[in-house]
Parts: sequence; C-alpha cells; structure tokens
Amino acid sequence: MFDFLVSSLTFGAIFALMALGLNLQAGLAGLLNFGHIAFAGIGAYGTGIAVQAGWHPALGAAAGVAVAMTLGWCIARLGKQLAADYWGIATLAIAEIIRTVATNELWLTNGAQGISGIPALFDDLPGKSGALAFLALVVALAAAAAVLLRRVAYGRFGRALRVMREEPKLAACMGYDLMSLKSRAVMAGAGVTAVAGSLYAHYMSFVGPDYLLASETFLLWTMLMIGGIGNFSGVVLGVVLVQTAYTLVPFAKDAFGFGSDIAGALRLGLIGCILLGCLLWRSEGLLPEKMRKMP
Amino acid sequence: MIQILVDTLLRCSDLALIALGLSMVYGLVKFPNIAHVQYAMVGAYLTYALHALGLPLALALLAACALTGAMALAFHLLVFRRLLRAGPAITMIGSLALSMLLIALCQGFAGSFPRMFTLPLATPIRLGDASVTLTQIAAVSTTALLLAGFALLLFCTRAGRAMRALACNPALADASGLNASRITCQVAFCSGALAGLGGGLLALSTGAHINLGTDLLLPVFAAAILGGLGNPLGAVAGAFLIALTETLVTNLNFGWLYAKPVAFLPVAYISAASFLILLLALLFKPYGLFDREVRRV
Amino acid sequence: MTAPHALQVDSVAKAFGGNRVLEKVGFNVRPGEIVGLLGPNGSGKSTLLNTITGFEAIDAGSVTFEGRRIDTLSAHRIVQAGIARTFQLPSMPAKMSVAEVAMAASVAHHGIWENLFGLRAAREAEARAREQANALLYQLLLAPVRDQPAAAISGGQKKLLGIVCALMAHPRMLMLDEPTAGVHPNLRSDIVGALQRLNQAGMTIVIVEHDMHFIREVCHRCIVLDRGHIVADCRPDELASNERVLEAYLGGAARKPAAGATAGPVLRMGAA
Repeated sequence: MFDFLVSSLTFGAIFALMALGLNLQAGLAGLLNFGHIAFAGIGAYGTGIAVQAGWHPALGAAAGVAVAMTLGWCIARLGKQLAADYWGIATLAIAEIIRTVATNELWLTNGAQGISGIPALFDDLPGKSGALAFLALVVALAAAAAVLLRRVAYGRFGRALRVMREEPKLAACMGYDLMSLKSRAVMAGAGVTAVAGSLYAHYMSFVGPDYLLASETFLLWTMLMIGGIGNFSGVVLGVVLVQTAYTLVPFAKDAFGFGSDIAGALRLGLIGCILLGCLLWRSEGLLPEKMRKMP
Repeated sequence: MIQILVDTLLRCSDLALIALGLSMVYGLVKFPNIAHVQYAMVGAYLTYALHALGLPLALALLAACALTGAMALAFHLLVFRRLLRAGPAITMIGSLALSMLLIALCQGFAGSFPRMFTLPLATPIRLGDASVTLTQIAAVSTTALLLAGFALLLFCTRAGRAMRALACNPALADASGLNASRITCQVAFCSGALAGLGGGLLALSTGAHINLGTDLLLPVFAAAILGGLGNPLGAVAGAFLIALTETLVTNLNFGWLYAKPVAFLPVAYISAASFLILLLALLFKPYGLFDREVRRV
Repeated sequence: MTAPHALQVDSVAKAFGGNRVLEKVGFNVRPGEIVGLLGPNGSGKSTLLNTITGFEAIDAGSVTFEGRRIDTLSAHRIVQAGIARTFQLPSMPAKMSVAEVAMAASVAHHGIWENLFGLRAAREAEARAREQANALLYQLLLAPVRDQPAAAISGGQKKLLGIVCALMAHPRMLMLDEPTAGVHPNLRSDIVGALQRLNQAGMTIVIVEHDMHFIREVCHRCIVLDRGHIVADCRPDELASNERVLEAYLGGAARKPAAGATAGPVLRMGAA
C-alpha cells in the first residue's frame, strides 16, 4: 500500500511537470500542441542513449533538453499562417514521425525493445529511503516549476502571451514579435517537459517508443482542461484528479473482477467522459483562469 | 509494376470514403473532427457484429453504415453543435474526448483482440504479377461505385448544389433560403455513414480492431488536406496521392543510393511517409493542391 | 540630409485578387501635422492604413518614415520604428483587465529570466510601466473602469483603450482609424482635446475619419481617396468647393450650385 502510494505520487509529480510545460504553451499562449509528448520522449531518450553509450546520465538529460528546445523552436516557426487547430495536427504528425523513427532506428534507440538498465537516482540509499528521496525531488521540482511559471505568467512575458492568445493583431500593434513570443513559449515548455521525461526514464529504468504515443499527450491535455487551462493551480488540480481516477481503476479491477481489457477500456473511457463533461459544462475547467487586478 | 498499381488502388479505396466524409463535413462545420476516423472503427465493429449474428455480408455492411450515420448525427447534434459556440479549438478537443470514449466502448465490449471476419476462402486471382482476392475486388468496386454516385449527387442534384453553396458561403446560402441546419444534419449523417462503410470494407481484410481508427487518423487527414478541406472529390485525389506515395516508398529499391543490390525502407516508415506529406501540405499548400478549399486553415 | 517629411507615401499600389484597391497613391505628411484621410466607403482608406502600418504588403511603390523605408517591415517593427495605430473595431482580450492590457503595451524590455528572478531592472521597468499606464488611463478617462475585463467595456471606451495602447509605445506618429465612430458625444470632445494636446507636444497624427465636424476641428490638412486614387489634398475648409471631392461622395451627379445659393446640397459645412 505504501509503495503504491509513493509510486502514484511520484507519477503524479512527473506528470505535473509535463502538464505545466504544456500549460505554458496551450494555456498562456493558446498554442494547441498535440505533439507535446515528443519533448518528454526526447528527454527520456537523451538519458537512455547516454546510459547506453556509457556517458553520465546527467549529460544525456542536458542533451535531451537541448534537442527538445531546438525541436520546440522549429515547430513554433512552422507554418506562420496556420490556424491553431491545424498547427495542432502538424505537431501530432511530428510526434508520430519521431515515434516511428524511435521504433525503427535500432542503432540509436534500440528500436521497439527500448533501452533498459537506466539507473535509478538515489539507488544507494537504504530501504525505502531511495524511493522517498526521489519522490521528494520530483515533488520539489514540480512545486518549483509551478511557482516559477506562475510568476512568468503574471509578468511581462506572460502578459504578452495572453494578449497574443486572444488578440494577435493588438499584440503586434504593441510592438511584440509574435513569432518570437511563440518560439520562447514552446521552448520553455519543451525544456521543462524534457526534464520530466528524463526523470521518468530514471524512475522506470527504461525508455521505449511507447513513451511517445499520442495517447500520452491526450492524457496531459485532459489534465489541463479538467483542472483549468491557463491557471497553474488548476493544472495541478487536474493532475491530481486524473491521476486519482487512473489509479482507482486497478482497485476497481480487483474489487469487481474485471478483465484487463475492461480495465484498460475503463481508464480510457473515464478520462474521455470527464474531459467531454468538462468541455460541455465547464469549458474553462474547475479552476478557471482568473483576471488579475493590477495594483 | 502492376503490383504497385494494385497496392495503390487498394490503399486508396481504404482511405477514399473516409477522407471524402471528413472533407465534406468540414466544409460545413469548420473544425477538424478527430473522432471521424473512429466512426470507421465503429462501422467495422458493427459490420462484424451483424455479420456474426447471421446477416449476409452486404446487408450487414448496409445496416452498419446506416447505424454509424445515425450515431454521427447524434454526436453532431448533442456534442459538436454545442461546443462549436466556444470555437473550433475547443470542439477539436471535444472530438478528441469522443474518440477516447468510442475506443473505450469498443474495447470494453469487443476486447482488444482483432475480430476477423469468417469469409469463405477464395483463391486469389492473378493480374499480371499481382494477386488480389475477390473480397478486395468487391471492396474496391463498391468504393468506386459509391464515389461515382456521390459525384453525381454533388454536381447534378439540387441537394448537392445546396451542400456546395452552404460550404462556400453559409450566410449567403442561409439568406437564399437554404436550411443550413437541416443540410448540415444530412451531411453529418452521410459522412458518418461513409466513414462506417469505409471502416467495414477495410475490416474485411484487416479485421475489426481498436486501433483501426487511430491508424487512419493522419493518412486520412493528409488526404483531406491535400485535396483541400471542403472539396470532397479533392479528398479522393488526395487519398490516391497518399496511397501512391506509401506504396512507392516501400516498393522502390533504394539500393542505388547505397551502392547495394537491394535497400528498401522499413515497412514501418509507410506511416512516416504520409505524416511527412501531411506536414509538407500544411506548410506549403494548406489550402490543398487544387487551391479550391473553403478558407480557414 | 534633412527629411522634411515624417511620412512619405510614393505610388503605392495594392490589389486583392483582381480587385485593385489602391492605385498610385502618393502623399506626404510633415512632422507635427494632423492629416485627415477621407473618402467614401470602399475607397481604400483602411487598406492604405494597413499597408502603411505593416498589416498588409504593398504590390508596388514605397513608404518612407523619417527617411527610412518601412514598407518591407513587419507590423511590430514598424511600431518599434515609431508609428502606432488603432483599429476601427477594436476587440480586446476578455480575460485581462483594462489596466493589464495597458501595461502589456509598455515598451519596457525585459525577458523571462529577469522576470523569473525578480531582478531589480525588471521590477523598476514594471514600476515605470505601471506609472505610465495609470497616467494614460487617467488622461483618457478610463480610470473608473481600469479593473474591469477589457472586453466588457463599451465600444467607445475600447477605442480609448486602443489609443492608450498606441501611446504606451512612445510613438512619433499616430495613425487612428475612425477614433470617434460610435463614441459618446461627451467623450468625443475629450478625444479632440487629447489629440490637440498631443499635437502641441509634437506628435504627428493621421486620422481616418467620416465625421466632417471632427475633421474641421482637428485637422490641418485633408487627403481624399476615391476608389483607390487620391482626388484631393487640401485644407478642410476647401473641401466643400472641391469638385472632385463632391464627385467622389455624390457620384458624378454634383452640379454647380445656382448663383447666390449656399455651397453644396449635401455637404453642409456651415450648419450643425
């Protein structure tokens, strides 16, 4: 039970980091990034490839962050005239291309089998302390990210993003370079998410192409929409709710004796239902973005 | 050579009906409906279920197609019309949620193992150096007939003209007395039915499985965007182009590039090829190759 | 070499598909002038404004500001070069207050990092931006609504907010698109006052307008467009007697007034 709790919380904190990165792009800047998981995957693979090549994993993580941010820059510049939802499809396509490459390029990523044997952090601590130490680390990082990103949101950069989100012509009139704003938002989100991906690889001791499935991005989007897109506290709430729903399903499975197919269907169905319900009845999420009173 | 043509035609007919439906309904609702490909999955499962219950295949396909159309109409009325008030982006996310629900339902009821049709075994027919089964020929000809019929509908009937007018300029069409809401409902039904039929025909060869829709998502969108969203027959041309590229990409011998006798791209890169085309289309020709699309991209 | 003109528009042409909206449009604006840009609907005024401010590209010709060519620059660069504009139908963000929108328009430059770590420079820049925004909001009578959502204020107030945003950029030339259309008459005279004060302080202003009284009150010079061509470039009081202007507005049916009658059947310049 204790292990289960620690494990759930750790996953929750890692997802929170990824969702915060997505919120910067989708919530603040209005960029519908449906390929967001690619950033996490790149971070995870950075660590994995480094371990496989015998380098220090931190080097791999840094490389992963750098590659993710470069990719972020590229997709922000994609198709300047593209409307938001079509840009979303383009990002989905890019994530799928990366996943296909990861599945097939054995020399780089070990193909569909993935890279295993990634050392867990804090392995050398006795007993349960290792897991607890890791949990403390990820929770601290997620909290720090939430606080810092919130400051960014209410500072000049966040303000510019929010004007651009709703009235791009007005933002251009104010002298903002829209392309530069978009690039910076996506790169920042990419960096944070790549770090989360790296941590995930360490936690699972494994990285595989399934980390890059589109369904993972959709999961993050659900967390965002349920909790409150644009509101960083809302995002954390969304993560908690979705993660709770997700982890309740195995309990239900044991309690009611479902098959694993039904359990999988239940998870997916529950998320879909909650998301749809939110969109129909509370499209801003449980904690909508609040207008801030300026001093 | 014939094999390439045959493979292209087969793949094209897999995509054409679904891409056609997507493009047609986009012209009226103006948002990318991600759940559309899942209608194909639902159609596949319904066809399988009805056929397994004893209906002859043709009847099962027809019934499944009608049921899927009705389901698509219901979703349009209950979900998408409401969400569209909040904008196309929210509606797209809503269609995403609906996709998840549909996959979950099918997985819950039918399990994640593919359901293969029990069809009488037939010896494949040889055409040159290619071999096709009777089922495949039947599927392709059905698709071709439907496409021809649809083209007739679109260009030679009042209903078709009304659809085209509405797609081009909703306000003007409304002012001229066309009932926009009724036509949109009719189109929603038709596009759902076409998707269901496409899925059913596809499932004849691959079986009904829960990834049927998701695997089609990007190729179908690529085909529809290439043809120009809102230009239904363009979507068919787009489907042909996608099918051709996918076939060529894996059948062309790249050995000469690497100074080796044979070097083929791995089969898994088929999908990457269509994604790449989609990207290029969005970057350079977002209004489609024929540039006749309803402007919104 | 001194540039005697603030803005120089030379033979600008713009077509949308086959529709030639602007043809060989050329005029100059001297520093410190207030110029009105008039013309019937469809004459190309808004397109001209859009091309000068970088929201549309021109097909031919050139636009020069303070001796520097700006027709190849994008909209945000033109703002940074010193030209600010407003929109005819301003739409404002729904989730931001009036005060926040005004602050967003400030030109204080600092990026993510400084913001993140609360560096002194960033905090000082924020304070300056806040002061400037508050001052402008007060001047343009938006202080009472500063905490309301920017999309919820009236159309006239949104126009004022648009002017506030334009002024936050410290422009040397203001281009206003119908600043008084739909504005309450009381507010109108405040806008006139504000523009005159700005002009006395050295601001060059170009105004696209329909309201003849406003033009007469405020503008030094008028440029009249008709179907993409400039048909007049004169003082406001000379407009009523200008035949080409009358033709533009009345469509060729203008006749010379009978001897002794007051000028112009429709263009009533004298009476209210």
